[in-house]
Amino acid sequence: MCGVAGIVRADPRRPVEEDRLLRMARALRHRGPDGFGLARDDGAGFVSARLAIFDLPGGWQPIEATPGGGLIVYNGEVYNHPELRGELSREGVGFSTTTDTEVVLRMLERDGLSALDRFNGQFAFGWWQPRERRLVLVRDRFGVRPLYWAQLADGTLAFGSEVCSLFASGLVDPAPDLLGIDEVFTLWGTRPPRTVFRGVQQLPPGGLLVWQNGHIVEQRSWWTSAPWTAPPQEHDLDSLLRDSVRLRLRADVPVGAYLSGGLDSSLISALAQETTGSRLRTFSVAFTNELYDERAYQEEVAAALGTSHHVVEAGSQEIADAFPDVVLHAETPMVRTAPVPLYLLAREVREQGITVVATGEGADELFWGYDLFKEVALRRLHAQDPTRAEELLNRLYPYLGAGAARRGPAWRQFILQTGAGDDPLSSHLTRVEATATVKAFYSDDVAAELAAADPLERLRSDLPAGFGELSALERASWLEVTTLLEPYLLATQGDRMAMAHGVEGRYPFLDHRVFAASVGLPPEQKLDGIENDKVALRRLADEVLPPSIARRPKQPYRAPEVEPFFAQGAPEWIEQLVSPEALERVGLWDPARVSGLLRRCRAGKATGIREGMAFVGILSTQLWHESFFGEDRRSFVPEDLGPRVSMDRMGHPATGATV
Amino acid sequence: MTTEGHVDVRADVRQYVQENFLYMRPDVTLDDQDDLLDLGIIDSLGFVELVEEVQVRYGITVQDVDITEENFGSVDSIVRYVEGRRAAG
Repeated sequence: MCGVAGIVRADPRRPVEEDRLLRMARALRHRGPDGFGLARDDGAGFVSARLAIFDLPGGWQPIEATPGGGLIVYNGEVYNHPELRGELSREGVGFSTTTDTEVVLRMLERDGLSALDRFNGQFAFGWWQPRERRLVLVRDRFGVRPLYWAQLADGTLAFGSEVCSLFASGLVDPAPDLLGIDEVFTLWGTRPPRTVFRGVQQLPPGGLLVWQNGHIVEQRSWWTSAPWTAPPQEHDLDSLLRDSVRLRLRADVPVGAYLSGGLDSSLISALAQETTGSRLRTFSVAFTNELYDERAYQEEVAAALGTSHHVVEAGSQEIADAFPDVVLHAETPMVRTAPVPLYLLAREVREQGITVVATGEGADELFWGYDLFKEVALRRLHAQDPTRAEELLNRLYPYLGAGAARRGPAWRQFILQTGAGDDPLSSHLTRVEATATVKAFYSDDVAAELAAADPLERLRSDLPAGFGELSALERASWLEVTTLLEPYLLATQGDRMAMAHGVEGRYPFLDHRVFAASVGLPPEQKLDGIENDKVALRRLADEVLPPSIARRPKQPYRAPEVEPFFAQGAPEWIEQLVSPEALERVGLWDPARVSGLLRRCRAGKATGIREGMAFVGILSTQLWHESFFGEDRRSFVPEDLGPRVSMDRMGHPATGATV
Repeated sequence: MTTEGHVDVRADVRQYVQENFLYMRPDVTLDDQDDLLDLGIIDSLGFVELVEEVQVRYGITVQDVDITEENFGSVDSIVRYVEGRRAAG
């Protein structure tokens, strides 16, 4: 696991300056705190900041297949690398490291891009073929690992694991992308390839890009989460999930697990403990505010499994204090504070000497665990039995009890009717409408500029052929995977928070075989009726977890939104950052409207989810803007440590064959 | 806060709308007959919040068929609706 970056120029006679590469490496140091390496070729340069997981002494990057030949900078893990290594070894392929990185490179050199289908893991990499002057950028199936790129007018392409590395190169100037920002305030994140930075794109999950001699010659998906493409699986879900956990425990360093207290992470922890047979180290976030706190369940699981358990408590002050760093690392505005406790948790995990954690993301999307899926099912039931549907609806969203959104007849009508039409996005419209509250605070100029650009229209027009053939629940699942899982849960709340502290998250539910098995299940094995969710997972959980956990209804993971920033002792920078002057300076928000919201926040009246999202959206946008575009914006300095690998390949023709 | 009587309900509803929604539209001077949805004072979720608030605040049970713009679309219509329901016992 690492941070990677590089620059390739159309003209091979134009060298990539070492200073640029050193700045890119330094910008990514948090992703790879163990050291860095770089390689310079004719009109090309690559860096890798390394988090050592495999082959600790020898696995430095970049790695080249032959002196001057094909080269890779690689972020992530291919978990089945020992099997692939064995296959290559039997053919006489030699290795100089025991890393998965080298296996990936040699597989690519042997099979070309068809090798991607063989990789089981989470990865993003740049593969450089010097003879052809071709760079291939690849991102894993679900987009667990990020990869950004920008192309300049002269054909130069810069890429990196985080946007900051592109800015650090000095080749890409930061500029906000209003459409990207508007997507965040619609779907919680931007849909790839869009980002919140103009001119900066991200590779879609399962996507690849080929650049050659100054031109992008190919951009396509090498894998898709469209359910109709999922092949039938030879093995059943239980054995695939067990195998996925087994593979994801592979590392030359200790692997821990996050434990939320809910079904998904508890199941992963139980299977991990079962696989290793040794005492697993588990880590949890607890909240001082009991509305959000799940520690009783976490402790119950830890005790039942006998894990070595560690709890990080997030209070108001910790959340407010960490928020600027969270936004800086997320590199995006956000509508929730939920990433903050995960940032605090990763910091603690790192301090405890753990750099790899297994975690439960993906289960709710693949096995229909969110209340959003139940809403979809309820709408169908409502047409047949409205009384029963309304009764069941009252059991959803228990956390909405407080605040403005009371659950009376108007709320029921809203939930049951908002998504009842034939809009392909119907499953998501209630969330979209709630989130859109943030947009009420746009400045007039911003609102006018965005008036003709509807992010939902863009999404509708991007829906793949075949989407219309899916059931309503399958559509909802696909939309969750493509609009929430990668853009928000795996990126803003996942990769960025963990990698801020050099901690790698691993996601057993996102093994592509597990995904395919989930697609192949009968619908009632995911959601049976209205209330019985994640049926197939709960059946497995019955074998390995206490009934109180295996059968526990889902509690959405949330964190306090307004209160931390207005509690006694809240940091002074908050009021400064949302002052009329600061709002005018940034120009995205209407100061008069925001001042009304702030009055309600200060008075403790902004207790609803919508106002919470609005405030967090505004505050995070202000922080994001100041961090990347403000007078005191982040500056980039070169890496001052010595490289662990430094290759100068300029002017030297490759001595080995490349594909 | 008393909510007895015509004037108090009107003042109360005005204050609720002012406090909870109108702060997002400082450019608007709201009259009691103005359409809250048309003017963008409330959106569809704001409408939900408004109806639920009326129900709780004035101790009336709002029937599904009553959840219309005609009954909840302006300060005037809300006052009319609340008083009508109270009169009906």
